[in-house]
Amino acid sequence: MLTRLILRRLALGLLTLWLVSLLVFAATLALPGDAAQAILGREATPERLAALRDQLHLDEPVVTQYLKWLGGILTGDLGNSAATQQPVSELLSDRVGNSLFLVVVSAVVAVPLSIFVGVWTAMRRDRAPDHIVSTGSLILASLPEFVIGIALILLFATEVFHAFPAVSLLGPGEKAWDDPKVVVLPAATLVLAVVPYISRIMRGSMVEVLESEYVTMATLKGLPRRTVIWRHAVPNAIVPAIQVTALQLAYLAGGVVVVEFVFSYPGIGAALVEAVGNRDMPVVQTVTMLAAGIYVGLNILADVATILVTPKLRTAAR
Amino acid sequence: MVWLDEELTRRQVIRAGAAGGLALGAGGALAGCFGGDDDSANNGAPAPQAQPGDFRPGGTLRIGATGGGAEDTVDGQKPTSDPDIMRTWQLFEPLAVRNAAFTKLEMVLAESLEAEKGKADTWTVRLKPDLEFHNGKTVTADDVIFSLQRILDPKDPKVGAASIGYVDAKGLKKMDARTVRIPLKFANSSFPEDLGQYFNNIVPTDFDPKNPVGTGAFKYKSLKPGEQSTFVRFPNYWRKGEPYVDELVIIDFTEPTAKVNALVGGQVEAINNVPFSQVSSLQGNGNLKVVISETGSWQPFTMRVDADPFKDNRVRQAMRLLVDRDQMVQQVLSGQGRIANDLYAPYDDCYAKDLPQRKQDLEQAKSLLKQAGQSDLRVELVTGDIFRGVVEAAQVFAEQAKGAGVEVKVRKVDTGTFYGDNYLSWPFAQDFWATRTYLTQVAQGSLPDSPFNETHWDDKEFQSLIRQARGELDEDKRCELLKEAQKLEYDKGGYIIPYFSNSVDAHSSKIGGIQEAKSGFTLGNYQLRSVGFLK
Repeated sequence: MLTRLILRRLALGLLTLWLVSLLVFAATLALPGDAAQAILGREATPERLAALRDQLHLDEPVVTQYLKWLGGILTGDLGNSAATQQPVSELLSDRVGNSLFLVVVSAVVAVPLSIFVGVWTAMRRDRAPDHIVSTGSLILASLPEFVIGIALILLFATEVFHAFPAVSLLGPGEKAWDDPKVVVLPAATLVLAVVPYISRIMRGSMVEVLESEYVTMATLKGLPRRTVIWRHAVPNAIVPAIQVTALQLAYLAGGVVVVEFVFSYPGIGAALVEAVGNRDMPVVQTVTMLAAGIYVGLNILADVATILVTPKLRTAAR
Repeated sequence: MVWLDEELTRRQVIRAGAAGGLALGAGGALAGCFGGDDDSANNGAPAPQAQPGDFRPGGTLRIGATGGGAEDTVDGQKPTSDPDIMRTWQLFEPLAVRNAAFTKLEMVLAESLEAEKGKADTWTVRLKPDLEFHNGKTVTADDVIFSLQRILDPKDPKVGAASIGYVDAKGLKKMDARTVRIPLKFANSSFPEDLGQYFNNIVPTDFDPKNPVGTGAFKYKSLKPGEQSTFVRFPNYWRKGEPYVDELVIIDFTEPTAKVNALVGGQVEAINNVPFSQVSSLQGNGNLKVVISETGSWQPFTMRVDADPFKDNRVRQAMRLLVDRDQMVQQVLSGQGRIANDLYAPYDDCYAKDLPQRKQDLEQAKSLLKQAGQSDLRVELVTGDIFRGVVEAAQVFAEQAKGAGVEVKVRKVDTGTFYGDNYLSWPFAQDFWATRTYLTQVAQGSLPDSPFNETHWDDKEFQSLIRQARGELDEDKRCELLKEAQKLEYDKGGYIIPYFSNSVDAHSSKIGGIQEAKSGFTLGNYQLRSVGFLK
């Protein structure tokens, strides 16, 4: 039953991805200008445009280009960049690695931290620490990432301390994990952007659970406070948090675009911004597919996880 | 203003007959004008803050630039973005190029560049002896012919094709190992200026863009498109003693603020094109030095003289009278610029500086519009992030136009759209141009066959004046013709040129050797060979 559910979800996910690719294709089409015009910019003379279009094979109708790309992706070939004629896989492989590293580092820090903060504030409900954290997280949640990023740069890189690099520069052939210092500020920005959401949901559901009868019962039975919280309360409070975490992690996959821009971090976000500017359809498609794929995948995972931690659903699914 | 002093020195020099920018005399005099100025990059430039003796040789110099991306190139004849141009200047050299102070065309690989027998339609270039490419090969006449033909290749024209398209590529002739005869399709006294531009670089006959070989001060090491490129010192460089640093890294930034942050955080030693709004904060930083250069770079509003409502010259004149130029310099450039008079090429010896400075005159503008039957004029101004300050200038212009009841709707598009199918045919848009001499600029944008004639300026009288000036090798006579041509543009042209903008570089105080550049090419004409770490 669970397997069937997962398979069904996967099929729907693929359909979603295909629809996304169509939408992105339509959006790319709607942008005026082509890759040759975007690359040559103000230097574009008719002669040079013609020569470059020829070199980049832009003479093919766009629909053909899309079908080629779609056919290619089904066979695992991502095609060539319209702007450089390099294989997209080669162009993006380092960048995908860098972005994934950034997202994973952020998630590994953000998820446990948010759950801890949520539980901690729920236990101090309506007391000073709760109010302080809640106000702080509301402020953070209302700030766009680039503001958080710039504030971190001012504080830790340029004006106050010189602890971390202001921009994430990597040498030729260097990956983000070869020089983890470059990840610190971008990851911190993402962590500060998602922790408020997850921790608030966690706090909310924890407050509810703490008021429930079985927690009162467990306490009255004389179980240690720690056991009550971490054995009985948290596992039940975590279900809504899983859903929000998935949404937030999926959001990270898109949120990196802005953060990578602020820090000049060599990831897929920067590549996407540039590819849109260059009207580079194969690269735009691949990056959006990747982001959408992560989004869909995480949602499926969250649903499965929810089912697994909810006995009622788990038995129903069986 | 420093450049006025410059002007004086230059005039004195010309009078003395020793050197000169466009000071073309007939025949043999040309050799004196264009030849024999060996290593004289600093001529006429403000005294450099650092002398060669102040440098400690070696080190890795890291420079931050904005622009560039996946399409980054190290092909010396195909640079487009700012980092491309910066890379090109390190790896390659043209036959000649304007010096950073823009006082004269300086011979680089050429020893001389002269018109034959006082006629401006055939030219002879003679190379300096014993010039060496990075791979050890000597630079010969064959390389010059190959380079020019590669630029003009009709199947794949390079950037320079738009500047020297009138060279008869098939007629190029090797006279001896160091001499090439260059026939033109029409007489053009401005040929040395057109040829002497950074993108008309000399490459060897076996040039491979994947492993680029030139004669520049730095050799190619690596390129990671959109991120960074690395170069190493060329030990056999012909200017003895240079470059000072062992390694050079040029880093692409997508965004100017990131570039500034990298400088302040110590991740790069120098950056160019500092956003004007950040100049004063960088000036206040004791670890940094800011280099401000007045330039002849201009960012015009372009009105199409063949499209409504600008077809009517009264409307164009009215539009030009709407601009409060001083306010624009303050608001758009944070004061980093100086007002202009709807004319370009301010550093040309023949610049029409006697034409009265145009000022905002809303009453006159209203009356002109009324005469033209356009009292409630509504126009759309297409703008985009094509150059710093351009979008802001559009907004300020729209505000100022309201004073005469003209409604300017600013339409901001992304650069891909700006340079898309409507490029060069927007009725009212903007553009940006580098510092050039008058005739070179005219060839680029003011003739019907110019590649970038965005105003569609097509004036028979103007064209006849330009034709005569091109054939005229006597400077005084030519200046007369060019001043008349400028008067025509001043009275009837389609450009609104509110200001000339400064270019601002900033660097760590650990390094020296970055000079001012009126040329508009940042970092002292991208002259990183003269930059070194201070002792």
